[in-house]
Amino acid sequence: MRFWKSVFFALAALLVWSQVALAGPTYDRVMESGVVRVGIMTDSIPGAFYNDNNEWVGFDVDIAEEVAKRLGVEIERVAVTNRTRITFIQQGRIDMSVANMTHTRERDRVIDFSITYFFDGQKILAPAGQFSDIEDLVGKRIATMQGTTSEINIRNLLRELGDPDYASNVISFQRESEAFQALKLGRVAGWSTDSTILLGYAAQEPGKWELVGDFISDEPYGIGVPQDDSAWRDAINFALQDMWLDGTYMEIYNKWYGPDTPYYFPMTRQIEVWP
Amino acid sequence: MYKSWISKAWAQNSILISIFAAAFIYWGFFFEFGYNFDWSVLFTVNPTYGENLGFYLIYGLQVTLKITLISSVLALALGTFFGLGRLSNFKPFYWVSTAYVEFFRNTPLLVQLFFWYFAMPQALPMEMRNWLFGLNYEFWCATIGLAIYTGSFMAEVIRAGIQSIDKGLLEASYSSGLNYFQIMRKIILPLAFRAIIPPLGSEFLNNMKNSSLAMVVGVADLTWQSQQIESLTFRGFEATTAATIIYLSLSLSISGILNTINARLRRTTQRKKDFLSQSYIFISWPFVKTMLVVQRGIAVVVPRQQQGLKLTKTQTAIKQVSLISWKALNAAAKLSFGLLFVYGVYLCAKGLYSFNWQIIWDSLRTLLIWRFPDGRADDIFMGLGGLSFSIIMSVIAISISFFIGLAVGLGRMSKNNILRIPCMMYIEFIRGNPLIIVIFWVYFFIPVFFNTFISVFWSATIALTIFTGAYIAEIVRGGIQNIPKGQFEAAMSTGLGYYRTMRHIILPQALKQMIPAIVGQFIAIFKDTSLAFVIGVMELTYVAQILNNRLMIYPFEIYTTIAVLYFICCYAMSILAARLEHRLTPDKVRLRM
Repeated sequence: MRFWKSVFFALAALLVWSQVALAGPTYDRVMESGVVRVGIMTDSIPGAFYNDNNEWVGFDVDIAEEVAKRLGVEIERVAVTNRTRITFIQQGRIDMSVANMTHTRERDRVIDFSITYFFDGQKILAPAGQFSDIEDLVGKRIATMQGTTSEINIRNLLRELGDPDYASNVISFQRESEAFQALKLGRVAGWSTDSTILLGYAAQEPGKWELVGDFISDEPYGIGVPQDDSAWRDAINFALQDMWLDGTYMEIYNKWYGPDTPYYFPMTRQIEVWP
Repeated sequence: MYKSWISKAWAQNSILISIFAAAFIYWGFFFEFGYNFDWSVLFTVNPTYGENLGFYLIYGLQVTLKITLISSVLALALGTFFGLGRLSNFKPFYWVSTAYVEFFRNTPLLVQLFFWYFAMPQALPMEMRNWLFGLNYEFWCATIGLAIYTGSFMAEVIRAGIQSIDKGLLEASYSSGLNYFQIMRKIILPLAFRAIIPPLGSEFLNNMKNSSLAMVVGVADLTWQSQQIESLTFRGFEATTAATIIYLSLSLSISGILNTINARLRRTTQRKKDFLSQSYIFISWPFVKTMLVVQRGIAVVVPRQQQGLKLTKTQTAIKQVSLISWKALNAAAKLSFGLLFVYGVYLCAKGLYSFNWQIIWDSLRTLLIWRFPDGRADDIFMGLGGLSFSIIMSVIAISISFFIGLAVGLGRMSKNNILRIPCMMYIEFIRGNPLIIVIFWVYFFIPVFFNTFISVFWSATIALTIFTGAYIAEIVRGGIQNIPKGQFEAAMSTGLGYYRTMRHIILPQALKQMIPAIVGQFIAIFKDTSLAFVIGVMELTYVAQILNNRLMIYPFEIYTTIAVLYFICCYAMSILAARLEHRLTPDKVRLRM
């Protein structure tokens, strides 16, 4: 009986210990506690994923680490998914989300975004040599991920291109890895999401996969932050701009998307820098 | 004074109502939620998407119902077939049935679904794969996968039902001159059928709730649609509440129907003709009718035996021929089954031989302990994960839910409404929902209600504990109700109070009886830890997905390995339980003179 008692008290103590205040300006709270809680994905290669040594690495991870370093605080990584990242910011469970998240108007109604720190666009991944244009994929099944802008974009695109079964031809999965597996099985003809994610997966089996057609959409990635907290948003924006100005950003960028990497993605635009 | 006051129903009810009212007022008006509620997303047209998202839930409900109905029928068929197989004298059939039941009962449904969807097609030839994919593969994969899973539970229920019939009854009916089919039809099946209705009914209910897992293979069922609303509007609280209410009403109506069927077929107690029971009878009429038709159908298929003993020559000849052809048919069926069995074993052996064992061996460490002991600062338990994480979660959930179950089970039996009604609400609410919904509630909505965050590990463990507690409470109630009432009276009349009666007389006996059911529940928790993957807990299934994500071309190996790992743990637990049960049941222990 004594054992159960101690288990019970240990659990109760743990619950109390993990209690974090919800309200309050994020900037002050982060500076006071010295810890920033960052939402990061776990299965987006090369954004944020587990490598061969079971370490959590990627472009987003490095960006988050660098922002935290410039703010002078410790980082606490919180695993998020497509579905959880926005809820977490709303609830205050994380202070920012660096999770290849497109800045959209609908999302901006519930949370705020930093300046765009990465420019991506949606494409379709398909087996090499099968399709030459997006029109060839009309009437075929396409995989995407639930809860993303890609899902809405691809459905609208299929509808515009005149696919009568556009709703049932888009199959949504919970995770990127599942969508890729469905593609590999031949369950779907293509997989549509942000091109860097697709590049990451295609690089696993060089020569077998290719990106079809032009960009379907613009996907400006922002860092998600809590609504109406300009001090915190400014701090992050300044950190991003400083990174860009002193070249750290390009270092991180080239580490993951540079010409020597399997995920080569040329940098075409500039981060917005305020004078 | 206080005691007589509190024993009055109106006093209890008014205290209860005032507690609920106080909670409602506190959370409704004074409490500061970190969240603004907007219920209109469920019934108004969303301006961004131009659609009424409430319809999404209705589409989801349709899919859920379709999966539930089809898989229930299939599962019942599979369960009957393999349940009879478990009683068969023909060994290969018995072995296959036993393997089917043990394997599918002791691995998580989630892993099975992943296997059917992601791994199985890779083993098929290209043409067959394309043919399969031409169908609505997601839907059929989820439905049939679910049916195979539920079927393994139903097979055990049906076997136990048939076995529970007294052997003397069989002998008596044989000696009264009935033949095998008549005995089956008139004596055994009706009795067995009545005995198994309650457990079979709860399998139907579980089947409905388990259909929520169809979403992992991309089927747009109710859970999926509620998540879709969440991801479109970020209104997770509202969407999940709606899904919860729909699941709850589905569960309650299913259990209502089953209770009525049960009551009608038993015909032991006199039914009160109040409005409630009348409406239940009305609802369940088609089901009862179907069952009667099935019974009659059996009577038509199995012909009555000839009444007279004297047969004409032609009749004798026909009888002879039919007897011989029956025997030949029987032998042929057995032979073909045996050949099929051997071929199946050969295929399995070939498949196992072609496995990339090196990959399994290399990833075993990761699957068992993830990156322990090199965890990072934000890891819990020094980076532990995988199988050991599942075990830790289930051990915590098991130990705490046992006490919750004990307390709530006793509370549910209390005469005092203040205890009874909240306990009943807890049990019904939790048991009426799929575990995945309970996990979402704990994970997303504890922060909304209590302004506190807990890690994924702890929220999944709490959800598992709360979920299991409700099931154990019902087991406890059943166990205590099995103890003869005279024992309470005897204990009370010797001057023991409620607490001491329970502690020294009732619970020791009741707990002994409950062991099989409780262990079954513990095995279920262990399997259910796999669901924690939806919120990203590093347990076995999630780690397997990470590995699969990285290795990419070995899903067959990875999913088979984790299925075997789950199986080993669950099967070991059930063997242990059987031993324990054997040792604790006195009438099975042989007396030594």
